Amino acid sequence: MFENKFVGMALVLPGVLFAALVFLLPVGYLLAEGFQSADGWSFSPYIEFFSSERNRTVFLRTLKLGAMVTVVSTIIGYAAAWSIVSLKPTSRGRLIGLVILPLMISPVARTYAWIVILGRTGIVNQALMTIGLSDEPIRFLFTETAVFIGLLQLFLPLMILSLSSAMENMPADAVAAARVLGANPLQVFWKVILPLTREGLVIGGTLVFTGSLTAFITPAILGGSKVLMLETLLYQRVTVANDIASASVIAMILIVMSFCANQLLKRVATARGAK
Amino acid sequence: MQRTVQLPSLSVTALSLCSLIALGSSAAQAADEKLVISVYGFAQDAFSEIVYKPFEEQCQCELVVETGNSVERLAKLEARKDDPEIDMAVMSTHDALSANRKGVTQAIDVSRLSNFDKLYDIAKDPLGDHLGIGYTFYATSIVYRSDKVSIDSWQDLFKDELKGRVAFPNVTTNQGPPALYMLGKAMGDDDASLEAPIKQVAEHRDDIVTFYERSSQVAQLMQQEEILAAPVGRFAWGAYTKMDMPLAWATPTEGQTGGMNVMVLTKGAKHEDLAYQFMDFWLSTGIQTQLAEALVDSPANAEVIVSDEVAGNLTYGAETVSSLKLMAPDVILDNRDQWLESWNDKVAQ
Repeated sequence: MFENKFVGMALVLPGVLFAALVFLLPVGYLLAEGFQSADGWSFSPYIEFFSSERNRTVFLRTLKLGAMVTVVSTIIGYAAAWSIVSLKPTSRGRLIGLVILPLMISPVARTYAWIVILGRTGIVNQALMTIGLSDEPIRFLFTETAVFIGLLQLFLPLMILSLSSAMENMPADAVAAARVLGANPLQVFWKVILPLTREGLVIGGTLVFTGSLTAFITPAILGGSKVLMLETLLYQRVTVANDIASASVIAMILIVMSFCANQLLKRVATARGAK
Repeated sequence: MQRTVQLPSLSVTALSLCSLIALGSSAAQAADEKLVISVYGFAQDAFSEIVYKPFEEQCQCELVVETGNSVERLAKLEARKDDPEIDMAVMSTHDALSANRKGVTQAIDVSRLSNFDKLYDIAKDPLGDHLGIGYTFYATSIVYRSDKVSIDSWQDLFKDELKGRVAFPNVTTNQGPPALYMLGKAMGDDDASLEAPIKQVAEHRDDIVTFYERSSQVAQLMQQEEILAAPVGRFAWGAYTKMDMPLAWATPTEGQTGGMNVMVLTKGAKHEDLAYQFMDFWLSTGIQTQLAEALVDSPANAEVIVSDEVAGNLTYGAETVSSLKLMAPDVILDNRDQWLESWNDKVAQ
């Protein structure tokens, strides 16, 4: 693109320097804190972290909710994206606009809405009691269910957008060709759509999983301290105990979890594509 | 002109150089007339009108106000220990004790405070050695729906009518440990470890709707009829009085607990005289009265007189103040980490 490679390097240098100074350096410094012990560099803070049953419970809960949100948003996302790309361009644009709309609203407002919806006097409980499925209000708030619903609503648009974008780039006759060759709908998805949309799945899955792991407001509001997650535990360690070393350990665990999820999604998608 | 800033870190060398350049100039004179304070971000508009601007007019100096939470404030004071930029700060009693243990604050010479003798006794020396002066406090008790339940004891939070209809403060909040302490007292257990009340809360974990982080959350849950009772600080009572609901403030047989905020003087404060002037100004009857009438802070000055309506929204009067069962700051500070661990192990699993 550039005749002189130094011109390209010069153009990218300010951005790289900025990222290094304001992100990599402080984050690196923070994460290094997690490998410090009385004897110098060591993994003992991590061993100590996982030796606590409570920390293991919080870790597994975070992993479970992140995985559930990612899997469910993938299923709903594929269905929604397929519907969107099947429409005419005008209708497609309108639907994409509807998908983007929630992203323009603050996550705080979107999360607080669930307090009203899922509360004792909320529409869900009212509906259940009206149709006779329940005699008294069911408690949804401050449970894992509420956190799951909140996170799913928060990140589903990202999955739909990623998959819609990937599906729009699929060859128009790929699905038709598979059908002609006798593939049933499940085979069409597994052997044609999934391999062709793997980039979208990897990007969407990583965004959703990472977002679910690192979201703070939604678990804090809908789960509170009864549904403690890694990010709420991290917040506690910093703001209450002023324990930066423990917070660094949790931050590193979150980064590793996100990286592993990204690699796993890549492998799943690549494996499908290879067959 | 009052400013609110986040000052960048400067090297000692740069500061020294600047000071040398400024020596003998009129700028040095202006710098000497600057007071830097660190306070909570709460109600800053009211503080600006009632406290900051009038003080600037009185002292003919510049007031620089830094806001943030206690953790940020302590971290900043510690980071600038050798070259403090903050002259005075306000914080909870246990954070003030923590600051002193870290060597960032000094004892206050109360003879330099003309309003000192007007303070309630519990506000005069809450930390010992005059390491802090109380400027406001609040009661903590139980707010409840008087049409649905009655509350006569802290143990009533666990009675059958309230199963699944109670919120309790998280141990990480300022209300959490005192509420646990009162639960313990109601069980006949005064132990500072709070093991017994934490165990009791854990046993009733499923009967408690949530362990709240902010008082505003409780008001919302009460409004939605999600809960019928919760321990809260008196400073939040105003929000409940505005609700069209039959809400009452409990006076449990074991008494009410609460908390206190104190003023501290930074060790090596560059504008010590101004800091003393400012503290005295803030503790004066006139300023404490205005802050009380604006429902910003309950007065620590015993000479403050307010209407019954205002008093109803505050922790006000000698009788109320003397009845508060406050936890000792050293008890909070020395046990805080262990409480958090115990709570997370038993309650937050």
